Amino acid sequence: MHCHRYDLPTSRRDFLQTAGCGFGAVALAALMDDKAQAAPLQLPQRMARAKSVIFLFMEGGPSHLDTFDRKPLLNELAGQSLPASFKTPLTAAGEGKSPLLECKRTWKQHGQGGLWISDWFTHVARHADDLAVIHSCASSGINHAGGVCSMNTGSLFGGRPSLGAWASYGLGTENKNLPAFVVIKDSESSVVNGVRNWGAGFMPAVYQGVEFHSDGTPIKYLDNPKGVDRREQREKLDLLGKLDHDFNASRASNTELEARIRGFELAYQMQAEAPGAVDLSKETAATKKLYGMDDAATATFGRNCLLARRLVENGVRFVQLYSGAGSKWDSHAGIEAKHSQLCHSVDKPIAGLLTDLKARGLLEETLVIWGGEFGRTPMSEKGDGRDHNPTGFTMWMAGGGVQGGRTHGTTDELGLYAVQDRLHVHDLHATILHLLGIDHTRLIYPHMGRPERIDQNEGRPYTKLV
Amino acid sequence: MATADEALTFFENEVRPLLVKRCYECHSDTKQKGGLRVDHIGYLKSGGDTGPALVPGKPEKSALIEAVTYGNADFQMPPKEKLPASEIAILEKWIKMGAPWPEDAAKKVVVTEGGLTEQQRKFWAFQPVQKVSPPDAGGSWVRNDVDRFIAEKQAEMKLKPASEADRHEQVRRVYFDLHGLPPTKAQVDAFVNNKDSRAYEKLIDELLASPRYGERWAQHWLDLVRYAESDGYNQDAYRPHAWPYRDYVIKSFNDDKPYDQFVREQLAGDEIAPDDPNVFIATAFMRHPVYEYNLRDIRGQWDLIVTDMTDTAGELFLGLSMGCARCHNHKFDPILQKDYYRLRAFFTPVHWRDDLKLVPPGEKKAFDEQEAKWMTATAELRAKMDALTRPEIDKRVKTWLVSFPEDLQAMTNKPADQRDSLEKQLAGLCERQLDFARASFDPMKDIKDEKAKAEYKALREDLNKFDHLKPKPLPEAFVVTDAGPKAPANKLQTRKGDLEIEPGFPAIVDSAPPKITPTQTSTGRRTALADWITRADNPLSTRVIVNRVWQYHFGRGIVGSASEFGTLGELPTHPALLDHLTAKFVAGGWHFKALHREIMLSATYRQTARREPDEAVAKIDPANRYLWRFHPRRLDAEQVRDAMLAVSGELDLTAGGPASDGNGTRRSIYTRKKRNSPNDLLLALDMPAGFTSIAERQSTTTPTQALQLLNGDWLRARAHHLASRTKSIEDAWLAVLGRQPTDQERATAETFLETQMTRVKQAPPKNEIAANDQGFKVNTQHERLLVSVNDKEGDEFTVESIVKLDSVDKNAELRTLISHWDGGKASLESFGWSIDVTGQKSRYKPRNILMQLVGEDENANIGYQVVASDIHIEVGRRYHLVVQVSSARHSVTFTVRDLDTPGAAAQSAVVPMDRLSKLSQGASPIYLGGLGKRNPTRQWDGQIEALRIVSGTSAASMLSTDPEKWNAGLFIWRAADPLPSQFTWSGADSTADSEDTPLLKAMTSLCQVLLTTNQFFYLH
Repeated sequence: MHCHRYDLPTSRRDFLQTAGCGFGAVALAALMDDKAQAAPLQLPQRMARAKSVIFLFMEGGPSHLDTFDRKPLLNELAGQSLPASFKTPLTAAGEGKSPLLECKRTWKQHGQGGLWISDWFTHVARHADDLAVIHSCASSGINHAGGVCSMNTGSLFGGRPSLGAWASYGLGTENKNLPAFVVIKDSESSVVNGVRNWGAGFMPAVYQGVEFHSDGTPIKYLDNPKGVDRREQREKLDLLGKLDHDFNASRASNTELEARIRGFELAYQMQAEAPGAVDLSKETAATKKLYGMDDAATATFGRNCLLARRLVENGVRFVQLYSGAGSKWDSHAGIEAKHSQLCHSVDKPIAGLLTDLKARGLLEETLVIWGGEFGRTPMSEKGDGRDHNPTGFTMWMAGGGVQGGRTHGTTDELGLYAVQDRLHVHDLHATILHLLGIDHTRLIYPHMGRPERIDQNEGRPYTKLV
Repeated sequence: MATADEALTFFENEVRPLLVKRCYECHSDTKQKGGLRVDHIGYLKSGGDTGPALVPGKPEKSALIEAVTYGNADFQMPPKEKLPASEIAILEKWIKMGAPWPEDAAKKVVVTEGGLTEQQRKFWAFQPVQKVSPPDAGGSWVRNDVDRFIAEKQAEMKLKPASEADRHEQVRRVYFDLHGLPPTKAQVDAFVNNKDSRAYEKLIDELLASPRYGERWAQHWLDLVRYAESDGYNQDAYRPHAWPYRDYVIKSFNDDKPYDQFVREQLAGDEIAPDDPNVFIATAFMRHPVYEYNLRDIRGQWDLIVTDMTDTAGELFLGLSMGCARCHNHKFDPILQKDYYRLRAFFTPVHWRDDLKLVPPGEKKAFDEQEAKWMTATAELRAKMDALTRPEIDKRVKTWLVSFPEDLQAMTNKPADQRDSLEKQLAGLCERQLDFARASFDPMKDIKDEKAKAEYKALREDLNKFDHLKPKPLPEAFVVTDAGPKAPANKLQTRKGDLEIEPGFPAIVDSAPPKITPTQTSTGRRTALADWITRADNPLSTRVIVNRVWQYHFGRGIVGSASEFGTLGELPTHPALLDHLTAKFVAGGWHFKALHREIMLSATYRQTARREPDEAVAKIDPANRYLWRFHPRRLDAEQVRDAMLAVSGELDLTAGGPASDGNGTRRSIYTRKKRNSPNDLLLALDMPAGFTSIAERQSTTTPTQALQLLNGDWLRARAHHLASRTKSIEDAWLAVLGRQPTDQERATAETFLETQMTRVKQAPPKNEIAANDQGFKVNTQHERLLVSVNDKEGDEFTVESIVKLDSVDKNAELRTLISHWDGGKASLESFGWSIDVTGQKSRYKPRNILMQLVGEDENANIGYQVVASDIHIEVGRRYHLVVQVSSARHSVTFTVRDLDTPGAAAQSAVVPMDRLSKLSQGASPIYLGGLGKRNPTRQWDGQIEALRIVSGTSAASMLSTDPEKWNAGLFIWRAADPLPSQFTWSGADSTADSEDTPLLKAMTSLCQVLLTTNQFFYLH
């Protein structure tokens, strides 16, 4: 059992100073055990295909029942109450007893694996043989705040590091001039709970996600102040370097001082590099079309998907794209119209991303994850909507060594509860780290005397995806 | 009877393998489900959560046998499959034999009361604080007893102390340490030139007496209690009544309130002094957990709140991370799961109260009497208003109520005086949500019937006539009490069913039950907890607080893990010193100021940080645990921000009261702490977010932090302010670093200034601006007009204009007439508004006049809103356009008159807006014809003949279609007049830079660089 053992060969202060440099696998120290110390250091611990992650977060809760989890019984019982054999769940809007709502979709089986996918995802369906569809996801968060926080950090409440922070803590970044963890939203609306969804929690700030804006200046504070050009910025940095140099020279034991100078130089490099990473002018019209950028309805998410590919290509470890920022997938009423529009806005872009990644040989090493904070209930709400369903919902993964064309786990006949191979968010997190080659029980951050893990010691990796 | 040998042979051959095979997986060294392990007889005898697992000689009384025989349906072991009868027989026989177990010296476990081992009991932190005589060590270096302990250890380690810091270093250190601010030049000079031999001692006394001391040291406590001013969840609603707690903490430090009293007030202020608002407010300590306004899982939410209170109390007061023991006996620490529930039991009766006022009873009584008068006088009016709103409000409440689980609906429907304690707590949380549903009803928006609305309006105006009778509102109390004298259940779930756990203390420290005296209204539990925590002989709480103070002075505690004194924490480097200081602190009346003095007057504290370790020192003690120098430290977030304001000369020292925005100039402790939208600068410098108790700040360096310092407006503005009052390089150095520049630094700075100034001068001169007769046109010199005004229009203002639009956008873009806005929606700098006309493909339909607003909503979140008039204008016609914004009435009134059609009537629309405020407090200036940030597709196209802004929503009588008659306003623009200096054209090619002289601009850059140097950021 390693789960509660950790031994840092360096002091916490040294540790933070290393972290202060910001890059490289600083969790290495925590990951090493006796064996690893004897052998040459290697990360990932296990050979894994996935090197980076693109997490497509459908914020608000997409309906699994109308997209990837087909339930014929639902339409047979539509209009009736939930049969007594189902336990009435506690739902966000209290719709446990409302009549069941039929699914209006047309379903077809796709690919060699014969995956059922509804007509809301016809483009993604063409990649059916790349998808590992997990039907048995579960979360503890019944409302958006708890659900989104949970899907990102494993906890209903703020204060813990997000999945992307854990990944960059464990694996570092491959491009020093870009952040390891980047977040892009599809509108200016703020994601539920705001920036702490990609926060570092109790870890040093260096692991937190950095929000990129999909046009204009990609990162807050990236532009020089008004009226200051790059040459002047360079002169300021040179002056700062000179003034600090003498100060630092006689204080060599304080490594933070040098780290701070490096931080400024990196910022300067980032000013040069980040705009290029998001500059789509060199992409061909064909590529843009592939992502649906030629159509107003799909252009925004298409652009973000293309940015995600460029960032991954440039060595960013973890990219999270929000669709429907501000709970737009939430469909308590009028699910037909809301979901139609949102599914349409992401379907082609996601398919384009998968195609493009594959064509460039990047899909093998990029894990693409699709899902929201929860699914939706078979029961109706306000006549034509569905309430939140955290007790059973669907996510899918593609690339990163995952075997496609398969489904995993099941929900009951109405898609209400996960019944077989239930994967709680903690298990999903453990699984994602597993696919990145990290044993989540050994990726430990010491905090307040406790050896903290992403899963709060509750998750198990689901290893059947590979 | 079997002989001893035979018995052991039986054990080794039959029993041990059976235990290993059947039980070890869940009950040995790696896992102890139910708190039980079976790999030693000692553990079996002491048992798990539900008591001893066996009684030697008595199988029928042994829980082990009950479990394996499946005698109790809730308690069957192994859970998956019953053991074969033969194996059960072996266990029964073994217990009957007296449960013999071999004496194994190596594995000997002595288990004492409560399942704790002797070794665990001997752990240092649980031992009584010792009275220690300071050792005779250190010789002439010693200034007080602290130094003797340090010197003794150093001698042992073959280390020597550093030399004393010079007076410059000392004065900077003590100011930052006690006030969180840099000394001014005068303060530096006064100390450095003071010939008094006791100058240092006097300085410490002086600093401790200043109110700035409490403002600094309160911050440490606020970190520990995870203080914040918002709910910290999705809505992140602002907690407008939290700040009195912050002021309470500051005042407590400034008054040198004894720590034991400080603790008692925060844990049990409601029980010990319910009538004293200055004490009652301390219980806000239990109001800091996060909260979500619409979480239907009421029970789950309350459970998490109680858990949060329990965990925080354990870490904060006892230095024990209790979190692990919530689910199982602590793996490494002798903290039992029962201990966790015992501590939890003190908090289970807590009731979050929102119905109390923060005033003494006399004042409350006077208020009630006056309010009764108003109520009587207005009863009839209010009943009429109620009749108009009641049905819809009731409907909303009902819709919300039925979404709760049925048992909670029943609790909520019960009259308040019939609810038991748990029902009070849970129904109270339901009521909060129903109040939210009620408040969501806005009569002016939600009464749909126009006649009813008019009637309501008239009634409200009548009601306002009684305002003279209405008492001034009392401050709301952000506090807790108990839900009643009887505590709700506190259940620990075990396999054998739920166990009710009574309050108590961690068994390893004190297994005696607490003495609890309930009052009429309260369980008295928290008073008992506070009394125990503040006992002079409590080995944990006393050491924990003294160690914290040491840590805040030195940057590292005597125990390096300040909130973790258990086995997962670090051992004390100087245990005798910790005990010495602790004993003295407690004996001296728990006063912080005396402790500060003791520490700060020591030679240890006065050492320089300017000592580089030689090879030997680097080897013996690289981390400086034994204090061979003062720890170098980066300033923390609040110190940096406050110091920047202090040196720029802008620091606003207004003390206490409601919090201010972090982009302003008040001290950081008085800035708003919104958990989900923290201040950018403070966050980048590792300010905690306020979700959990934080014992030690991090000090990180990230490129994003650097970007903010290089490019952020806030710091640039401080640098600009500093530069504008700085005449020379020397001035800048003195202001920022408190010293003269060296010759080399001066030369470097001079070169820098020259290079910068040369380039600014080389910049191409701005073109002469031709007269404007075509109106506002994109890609000309007349794109936008920058307006400088001295006053702000506020949240109530009128924009009056005479305009003509030549075209609208062929897509969905807007034509902006005027803005006080940069177009952003995400930051406080972007607060503002604009008036625009929609394009051909707009979803608001073409040529619609609308307004966009960004401001602060009722929850102190950033709100953005589009208010569309649905009045559509024609291109090429002159209009008199008036827009009146009223945040108080939450409406925008548009009035448009076509001036090209003689006798045309004015069209008018009153459109509701959200309650947004601070509309004029963004960073962008006012522009005519576009946004603050140039955006070629959002320019006005056509003439703005005249335009003015008037504060207030002025009476129609002062409006006029003839601009010559306008005589009041923040500014008045008339295109026909010669260009007054107040207006500056901004064209496609202009940089729209400020009017700074080249020297000022260069100096600003120099000051900005100085404000980001390591010298400024570090005490080293």
